Amino acid sequence: MNAPPAAIVLQSVSKRYGSKTVVHDLSFTVQRGEVVGFLGPNGAGKTTTMRMIAGFTTATSGRVTVAGYDMDTQNVEAARRIGYLPERPPLYDALDVSAYLRFVGKVKGVPRAAMAAELERVLAACRLEGVVRHEIYKLSRGYRQRVGLAQALLGQPEVLLLDEPTAGLDPGQIQETREVIRAFGEDHAVLLSTHVLPEAMLICRRVAIISRGRLLAIDSPSGLQRAVEQTNRVTLRATAPAPALRDALLAVSGVLDVTIHATPGDDGALAAECHVEAREGVEAAIARAVAGRWDLHRLERREPTLENVFLRYVRGGDGEAVT
Amino acid sequence: MRSVLAVYQKELATYFRSPIAYFVVAVFLLGTGYFFLYNVLLTGDATMTETFQSMGVLLISVIPVLAMRQFSAEYGAGTMELLLTLPLTPWQLVLGKYLGAVTILLVITAGTLIDLVPLYLFGAPETTTILAGYIGFVLLGMACLAIGQFFSALTQNQIVAAVLTAATLLAFWFVGHAQGFQTSYAWRSLLGHLSFALHFADFVQGLVRSEAVAFYLVVSAIALTLNASYLQWQR
Repeated sequence: MNAPPAAIVLQSVSKRYGSKTVVHDLSFTVQRGEVVGFLGPNGAGKTTTMRMIAGFTTATSGRVTVAGYDMDTQNVEAARRIGYLPERPPLYDALDVSAYLRFVGKVKGVPRAAMAAELERVLAACRLEGVVRHEIYKLSRGYRQRVGLAQALLGQPEVLLLDEPTAGLDPGQIQETREVIRAFGEDHAVLLSTHVLPEAMLICRRVAIISRGRLLAIDSPSGLQRAVEQTNRVTLRATAPAPALRDALLAVSGVLDVTIHATPGDDGALAAECHVEAREGVEAAIARAVAGRWDLHRLERREPTLENVFLRYVRGGDGEAVT
Repeated sequence: MRSVLAVYQKELATYFRSPIAYFVVAVFLLGTGYFFLYNVLLTGDATMTETFQSMGVLLISVIPVLAMRQFSAEYGAGTMELLLTLPLTPWQLVLGKYLGAVTILLVITAGTLIDLVPLYLFGAPETTTILAGYIGFVLLGMACLAIGQFFSALTQNQIVAAVLTAATLLAFWFVGHAQGFQTSYAWRSLLGHLSFALHFADFVQGLVRSEAVAFYLVVSAIALTLNASYLQWQR
């Protein structure tokens, strides 16, 4: 007997809109029982990829299969096994929460007899019991997001696709939503996109890192943690001509990349941001290089951002190689 | 079938929870009432013929408003992404929505039955002629709705959908008038065959011609097929 197919399989998937390639030759798989994070800055191609997996659009080339079904030709069959929360929760403002969820449940084929129990299950999972009879247009952003999640959970799908599921939620709700996703991921396949680094590290077993439509790496949260620790960000303000400042900063050993904000502040100083290697002495070297020639107003080390991590993957080649 | 029913129920629920359905029904019934008073009570003829003619023109003007939100509103609200990723075929979606709109059409039609009360109380109208008129009215409405629904799938903008629909329906309504400018028999008969108004006039006169019935049904079927194909192609 063959092993059951992986829940989500992408094989050399590309998506072009006219001459613009939004997703470039993307391949990865998601197995049952794992939560995979899809991490990238805004505009990296996350939403387009999610839409191809959900069957909203088709790939220009390559193949997407979900639960063994080809999304190009068998998307309706596959749709019975997918729960999908788009980036913008797809809600009918005029309906109340119960009517909306009943509609989705019916289309997903939840049997009439099981409907009440199924609604109760998703309402409880998403903490929506208090707003069942509320019309959706009256709900706050956090509640709307959770109604969208409840809709995706309906019908016990094998595969859950969540596009930025915690956007718009307050910290308490984020915590609860992560718990729901984690619990669901124990025996289902979950792919969630996010641009929030800690989120990917907290709930995902593997993280696919995507930038400008290309997969940079698939890594474990601990690998990601290493990448975070290995990069740092230094910001400074100095009164100096921009091109000369950039050259001086790039000449410092340990500086990976420099961004200079074009417009000077009230004091005539320029703000610059450097991505640097995480080792002792880089800040001091920067300070020496700048203060020796110009007025240095401020210099500080900042929390690492997604950008740092990307640079680490682009330049350092850390993590599992992408084939 | 259950999916079509689910879409149908959702359509009706959203129609009646927004002011549009009430507005359309109200405008149509007020308009029809006015024409009925004008045509019947002022002339004293116990016939619906003139009123049906007016109802046809009135229908052409309210259908764009009724149909414009069918798909345009779904694009605008982002719910198209839900509908196209649920286990629904384009045909199930198109049919569910269409049946919802046809139900509103039937509600409008039923509303005009009140006009028949004074007609039967104070006169002796021909029941079969009136019945034929109503059959024609519903068939005309079905064809117009299918066209409106198709245009609504083409654009996010409800106003654009309504304008395109109105232009197309008016063209189909008045195309028969162009007959007078044609000398060739082939052109004259083609324009006659395409005319919504000329086919409708048959029904109003009490004639249920199979050609006219087939015409409206074929127009509906073509528009719905275009609609479903467009959704499929759009992916």
